[in-house]
Amino acid sequence: MHARLLIAGGFLWLGLQSYAAAERSLSVTIYNDDLALVQDRRDIDLKGGRQRIEFQDVSAQIRPETASLTAGDISIVEQNFDFDLLTPAKLMEKAVGHEVTIVRVNPATGAETREQAEVLATNGGVVLKIGQRIEVLRDDGLPVRVIFDKVPENLRARPTLSVTVIGAHAGTRPATLSYLTPGLGWRADYVALYDEGNGKIDVQGWVTLSNSSGVTYDNAQTLLVAGSPAQIEGGVRQPMVYRGPQPRATLQQAGTESGDRERLGDYYLYPLADRTTIANLQTKQVSFLDVHGVPAEHGYEFRNRWLGTAETPQSARSIYSFSTSAHAGLGDQLPAGVLRFYLRDKRGDPQFIGESRIDHTPMGSTLSLATGDAFDVKVRAVVEKRTRLSTFDWRSDMRYELSNARPLPVTVKLLQEGLWGDARISAESQKSTRRSAEAAEWTVNVPANGKATVTASFDTRY
Amino acid sequence: MHGASKRRAGLRVGHSRFRAVPALVLAVAIGPNFAPGPAFADAPAAAAVPVAAAAPTAAGVPALAADTVAGSPTALSLTVYRAPERSAGSIDLDRLGGFALISETRTVHLLAGVNRVRFEGVADGIEPASAMVTGLDQGVIEKNREGRVLSPAALVAAAVGRSVTLLRTEKSGKLTRTAGTIRSDAQGGVVFDTAQGVEALRCSGLPETFSFTGVTDLAATPTLSVRVRSSRPVTRTVTLAYLAGGFDWAADYSAGLSADGKSMDLGAWVTLANGNGTGFPDAHTQVVAGRVNRESGEVEPLDRGGPILAQCWPRGSTSDSPQYLQMARAAVQGIGQTRAFKLMMPASAPAPLEEDMVTAAHRVEQETLGDLKLYRVPEETTVAARQSKQVRLLDRSAIPVSFVYGADLAAGEASQTAATVLLRTMNTRANHLGLPLPSGRVAVFSLRDGRRLLRHESDLRDLAADEEVEIGMGESPDVQVLADRDSVAVSNARAAAIQFELRLRLPPGARIVRADHPVGAKNGRPIFRLSIPARKTVTVRYQTRAKVH
Repeated sequence: MHARLLIAGGFLWLGLQSYAAAERSLSVTIYNDDLALVQDRRDIDLKGGRQRIEFQDVSAQIRPETASLTAGDISIVEQNFDFDLLTPAKLMEKAVGHEVTIVRVNPATGAETREQAEVLATNGGVVLKIGQRIEVLRDDGLPVRVIFDKVPENLRARPTLSVTVIGAHAGTRPATLSYLTPGLGWRADYVALYDEGNGKIDVQGWVTLSNSSGVTYDNAQTLLVAGSPAQIEGGVRQPMVYRGPQPRATLQQAGTESGDRERLGDYYLYPLADRTTIANLQTKQVSFLDVHGVPAEHGYEFRNRWLGTAETPQSARSIYSFSTSAHAGLGDQLPAGVLRFYLRDKRGDPQFIGESRIDHTPMGSTLSLATGDAFDVKVRAVVEKRTRLSTFDWRSDMRYELSNARPLPVTVKLLQEGLWGDARISAESQKSTRRSAEAAEWTVNVPANGKATVTASFDTRY
Repeated sequence: MHGASKRRAGLRVGHSRFRAVPALVLAVAIGPNFAPGPAFADAPAAAAVPVAAAAPTAAGVPALAADTVAGSPTALSLTVYRAPERSAGSIDLDRLGGFALISETRTVHLLAGVNRVRFEGVADGIEPASAMVTGLDQGVIEKNREGRVLSPAALVAAAVGRSVTLLRTEKSGKLTRTAGTIRSDAQGGVVFDTAQGVEALRCSGLPETFSFTGVTDLAATPTLSVRVRSSRPVTRTVTLAYLAGGFDWAADYSAGLSADGKSMDLGAWVTLANGNGTGFPDAHTQVVAGRVNRESGEVEPLDRGGPILAQCWPRGSTSDSPQYLQMARAAVQGIGQTRAFKLMMPASAPAPLEEDMVTAAHRVEQETLGDLKLYRVPEETTVAARQSKQVRLLDRSAIPVSFVYGADLAAGEASQTAATVLLRTMNTRANHLGLPLPSGRVAVFSLRDGRRLLRHESDLRDLAADEEVEIGMGESPDVQVLADRDSVAVSNARAAAIQFELRLRLPPGARIVRADHPVGAKNGRPIFRLSIPARKTVTVRYQTRAKVH
């Protein structure tokens, strides 16, 4: 059986040899942007001289141009990546001009007739030449088995990387195959439980890695790299991913602290403690952060676009903010991912209250994350009046009505955006701060079950 | 084999929920993608194929002490969230865009060492990244969600390069068994190898199939598992909580107008739906109102599997027309993931037309969850697979309302429209309301000879307490609005006087300088509030000026 397999096209050639002998050691380095570096170390058995080594358990999405095989005392002649797949149709197509065996069984007697036939064509149907007769395969609908002698070379069940090498002398030696592949990626997922009474959060962080590269990485030493190395477009078969609009900046203040996490250049490294098997189509999560009792604040924010006016009151955003600094925060840098907020209900069960995406965040930063819209805190922004002061100058009178249906007073950060730097506030009912040239901000206290109004006049050009 | 694996694990195999999920996750791997520990050394399939020696060496992944299935879920809790992008209106059973937080407790038995604990029977729409497992006092090493499920195609894929038995039935009825090896399953065609040579599956016209000798570790459904380390054998009650798609809910209001049209009764149902194939028996059920942020997460890889396609070489015959070719090449669809709602129930779940007053005990209880509103179904209830369910939200009566007719017009443009009608009230305690009203659809009924008649149906957004409530009632052909360059005529063909609001849109910087009716302002726009007597026409004349300095 094994001998037969070997004869039949060297299909499992290296598979048998390297698997049988191999002390195979895989290491996988996974980057954020759907990219991984796979290093596959195993013992290969060389005959000496020129020979072809096949690796069929490489990623199906391998970037073959990045593959490199290193081993002592060999020189590489060429590398091929064959993706001509073995299917019945291909098998028949490659048999054109060759002999196959056809087997018919007499339905009445059960007698088996075997004939040699030459395949003439496979266009639409299979045309055979049996002796001097020309027939169409199974034209009468009766069963006919077709037996091929062998699988043609270059037809494989899976895309296969093959390397032709010249070894100076025979013998077993360790070799390392390394290549880049898309289809492996990771991100972080955070679970934050907010304690309303004490204003604290517990945060757990998980790295979530997923494998859609088509193969399983057994027993792999896994290293996750937070950061996205530059990739040249076109070299990678990357699907376009729509990441959605970025509604608001989550990073309020960038941190300046350094943790004890391992770094590589500007990237942070997250090695997994144990070797792990990353199965194809598997999603795997490993914990990397578990912090309790971090102070956090809850507030509201409403952003009005320039000349935004609303017929009905709009909900303010519900904002949670906390620090990632070592003394009063999470004490770690956070790889990019999604943070899910939970809050305990009256029965004490955690309930989901919304999620927010964060970017790579250095330690010591202040994050302010929107979880959703507040049901009870609403703002109605109205353009009261637009007056032309001169040919180019306009005055816009804005009124913001804030309402709070909660039994507690709330503080709302009210932002008027789109000021373009040239807008001047000529009058306002309470003092604003100019967060940037672009936006003015009021901090408005709204009493419990009450209302508050802010008015402002903006002088602008045009 | 099934029994053997149970015995090896030494633990009971959990029962799925009332959905018939066979506990098919078996312990022996036929692929190299599963690391059999020493416990599986007696696996009969492992020795048969030389390539199976590819099993990872013991150096790396810690050997499993036990591979167990967590017990069946108890203490289920289900919190349903609305589709985040829908701000008003009812749910669409064909496209349930909401999601749910599901939490359940299960009993697990751990042996000393590294255990793999599998949670079966989780909702189909699970978002694996959101899963939380609490109650395992020692560290969870990793959580996994296998994206491959057991299917005919997955069986073949797992058996590529391995020994199988080919079963072939001759025309005479004789069944032959031939040992062979699957060589390829690329692109839906199966090529195998026997002692006689290379053949393709089901291309001979004889009934052919494979018998697989190993069993896979593939589960019937996407299965969540955790690897956990334990220092001693223990039994733990763990809580599994996760988010899952394929749910939605909305409020369905019905308003009954009094005969004089000056007050209404308002009743509402919470309509929640589960589009998953998983049911939740005796669950604590909550719904949450308010918009929560969702991030468009990366799609988790998932292979739902499919049939063994066994695509052949071209099989045209001399009698075929050329079209046959294309038909033969038409793509075969995998098992669809579409929800079979249309077959099971009408495409929308309207509020029941007849209102039965529900006693207070059977209404949902409202509480505040941060900035959201949580409504708790008072009793444990069963949310079955592919079911929509209604629970009473509120019943209020004698709410004073007023009909307001109106029109939105651009100043200075000639037009003719029918007036829009709004039913207006305030969401206050004085009006027998004063409670948060979650978004949904409201159907307004009138009484005629003791029978209810549907007046109009419109959407309602989330309304906080003390907000103004406006229920759209459509248009009234009896009240026509005829606008000219500087005048608007409103004619009332009804037998009673009406309140009319004429809202004008002015160009930037323009203002009304003169009018023959008092002009007010609403939302920064001029408004004329008119009272129009029965069967009369009122004409408003106004003059605007674009202010130029």
